[in-house]
Amino acid sequence: MSPASSFALVAVLAPALAALVLAALPALRRQGTPAAMLCIAGSLGAFGAALAALSRLAHTHTPETWSRPWLQAAGLSLADVGVRVDGTSAPMLVVVTLVALCVQVFSLGYMHGESREAFGRYFAYHALFLFSMNVLVVSPNLLQLFAGWELVGVTSYLLIGFYYRKPEAAHAAVKAFWVTRFADMGLLFGLLALFTASGSFGWEAQLSPAVATFVTLMLFLAVVGKSAQFPLHIWLPNAMEGPTPVSALLHAATMVAAGVFLVVRAAPLFAQSETTRAVMLVTGSVTALFAACLALVQTDIKKVLAYSTCSQLGYMVAALGAGSVFGGFFHLTTHAFFKALLFLAAGSVIHAVHSNEIGKMGGLARRMPLTGGAFIIGALALAGVPGLAGFFSKDLVLEAVEGKLGSLPWIALLATAFLTAFYMGRVVFVAFFGAPANDHAAHAKEHGWSMRGPLVLLATLSVVVGYFGGDLAHLGGHAYHFHFTGGAALASGLGLAGIGLAYAVYGRGPREAPAIIATVDRIAQSRAVNRFYEFGFRRVTLVAADALAWIDRYVVDGLINMTGYVTLALGSRARKIQTGEAPDYVLAVMLGVVAMAAWVVVQ
Amino acid sequence: MTLAGCLTLAAALFSLGVYGLLTRRQAVAVLVSVELMANAANLCFVAFSRFRGDVTGQALAVFALALTVAEVAVGLALVILLYRAHGDTRVDLASEMKQ
Amino acid sequence: MEGTFFMVLAACALVPAWLAVRGANLIHAALWLGASLLATAAVYAMLGASFLAGVQVLVYVGGVITLMIFGVMMTRRHEGLVALAESRHQGRAAAIAVTLFAVIAQAINATDGLDAPLSAPVSANGSALGRALVVDHVLAFEALSLLLLAAIVGAVVIARRRDPPDAREAEVPS
Repeated sequence: MSPASSFALVAVLAPALAALVLAALPALRRQGTPAAMLCIAGSLGAFGAALAALSRLAHTHTPETWSRPWLQAAGLSLADVGVRVDGTSAPMLVVVTLVALCVQVFSLGYMHGESREAFGRYFAYHALFLFSMNVLVVSPNLLQLFAGWELVGVTSYLLIGFYYRKPEAAHAAVKAFWVTRFADMGLLFGLLALFTASGSFGWEAQLSPAVATFVTLMLFLAVVGKSAQFPLHIWLPNAMEGPTPVSALLHAATMVAAGVFLVVRAAPLFAQSETTRAVMLVTGSVTALFAACLALVQTDIKKVLAYSTCSQLGYMVAALGAGSVFGGFFHLTTHAFFKALLFLAAGSVIHAVHSNEIGKMGGLARRMPLTGGAFIIGALALAGVPGLAGFFSKDLVLEAVEGKLGSLPWIALLATAFLTAFYMGRVVFVAFFGAPANDHAAHAKEHGWSMRGPLVLLATLSVVVGYFGGDLAHLGGHAYHFHFTGGAALASGLGLAGIGLAYAVYGRGPREAPAIIATVDRIAQSRAVNRFYEFGFRRVTLVAADALAWIDRYVVDGLINMTGYVTLALGSRARKIQTGEAPDYVLAVMLGVVAMAAWVVVQ
Repeated sequence: MTLAGCLTLAAALFSLGVYGLLTRRQAVAVLVSVELMANAANLCFVAFSRFRGDVTGQALAVFALALTVAEVAVGLALVILLYRAHGDTRVDLASEMKQ
Repeated sequence: MEGTFFMVLAACALVPAWLAVRGANLIHAALWLGASLLATAAVYAMLGASFLAGVQVLVYVGGVITLMIFGVMMTRRHEGLVALAESRHQGRAAAIAVTLFAVIAQAINATDGLDAPLSAPVSANGSALGRALVVDHVLAFEALSLLLLAAIVGAVVIARRRDPPDAREAEVPS
């Protein structure tokens, strides 16, 4: 077992150990703070190991795999389980563990008001999530990835529904679970088709064009669900019912990026289907633009960030659809840092003003300079202002998309870049500048070190991580060298224009929203997509489910009940043989003796 | 006097014991029938011992006799217990196994 | 001569046996069993097993039958009434018994060499049997003595009257 894969294994097992201990020892879990410390220690160990694995890989430049056969039958194993360390998984592992660590440390402060039981439970879920995500990231084949995929789905459900006494949270958890579950069906079908066609769950299989299209379309369905792409994006805004650090980790930086990661991982498969990539390009750009429009009109700061996440994931999917694997992956990495930063800063604000509504904030940059600064850095990075992380990756995405499918996706993404800058500018100007909206906002204070530390770290990373694009590309065997092009200039110009427009509209105090925004708002309020699903659910799914339930109750259960009834009837007849009276048993013995003696004599 | 005669006598005694065992309801009467059957078995041991010219059969008969005595002792103790529990010694009263 | 004597003895064993399993009086049944066992003891003596014949008389007729009669007497509900031994299912019991006898008789008939007259007795005195019991089969002998002890203790424990605790307290003089 080589060093890099041992490190990766440690990165998987450290949080697993923490989760196992917290699951097995309820007494420790209910203590609260010790449980949190254990979880953070696990994450710290995982981060250290991930970093070691990455540096080892940077040194050797050789992908390493350590695996053991699993589900052996007749000398064949169905698939391997193990770890794979290469230019995709090692950086992803570092990103995941680092963001998780930041979020967990941040949660120490953010969740401090919870009861000790809830506090411990929260961190137990976190440890489980990190383990699941790491299983997904390091998997050497798609079957193990599927296991990790479902595990993060479960932890996502648990964390969205963390405030399970709150009906909205419970409902949001169920909704997220069902929507992603529906999409996961695609992953399962895709894997089965892949296995049937190639006899393995590896992503390097060469398939015939039709099969490749089917497999990749099925996998893409799972991506649409997990990465909240149109039209299955509906669960992500509701998922904001979970605690804000959870939104930062799962629903912005890592878990929703798992879909994009799957495409990056299975890139050799996706490279074989032109059709799927066209579908991805269209889906990605539609999602990017559509979600950006919806983000314009949200008044809940977390909802703005949620739609922004959808939109940025659309960027990544579009890049992958355009064939630029590295573009998608690079944007995933930078986005993980600055979106986690934005969410944590938003969490810090929410914690201070006790509200999610940006209308109830205002003037916070003066009261909370560090949080405000962090949020502004994140917003600028997201808007693609030159020099910050988002600029480089977004530019790479736009460059990849340019000229594809009649340039329509390119135009959509450019428009998205403009809208992104505008809605982030809106949040910044409304929430952090101007006059405080109420007493809470006026007396907001910065929080302790545990909440400020992660903000500083993530803000730093949001600034510098863009400059490591070349190294990242080199690790993965891609070629990337940044060069300032006309497209980049156009994109950053649009970004700056968006910020300027936001300043013009919202910068000088509250004002009536422009007519165009009001129209978008009306469209958003109509919840068209949600209503389409609700109709489908009530009129189609429920009717079909009722029919199936009838068959299940009267046909399937009937058969089973009949089996039970026949058994019982036979049993109660057979029971009468047992009278419990000694003479009857003697009679039976004698009959047996006579029969045996007769048999011997006849022989 | 032949071995066949002895064995036939033993078989007849044993069959009478079986008949008693199946018809009797009183516990002591059941024991009487069982004794009859054991006695028939003992007779076989002794007859075969004579037939083979070997005393081992007689030794076995002694052992079987002792076993029978032990059985009667325990059996009568159970009869007394049964009487105490039900006020009667009919074996078909002891049907608690059914519950 | 010997054959005739055996036939008489056989009749002396079978008729009391029949009365022992059929008789309506329980005491009489036990006594008829004793008679049948005595006749069997005579057959043992004819077969040259005089020691065993003695044991049979002492243990069975002297011990077991006495024990049984005690048992009958201890478990009688009504003083002065005859202890009745009921019979039931006589038809099917008879069928089973007759079938069993027929099967065994058929086996005896079918086996050759059983009709030859028996040879001279092995040993007139009990010394050979004594050697067999306490030399050759001493382990079985000792195990059996242990079994007898266990049976005696067990019989006492099973049949002992268990007084309820409150009854025992009531016996304490006030």
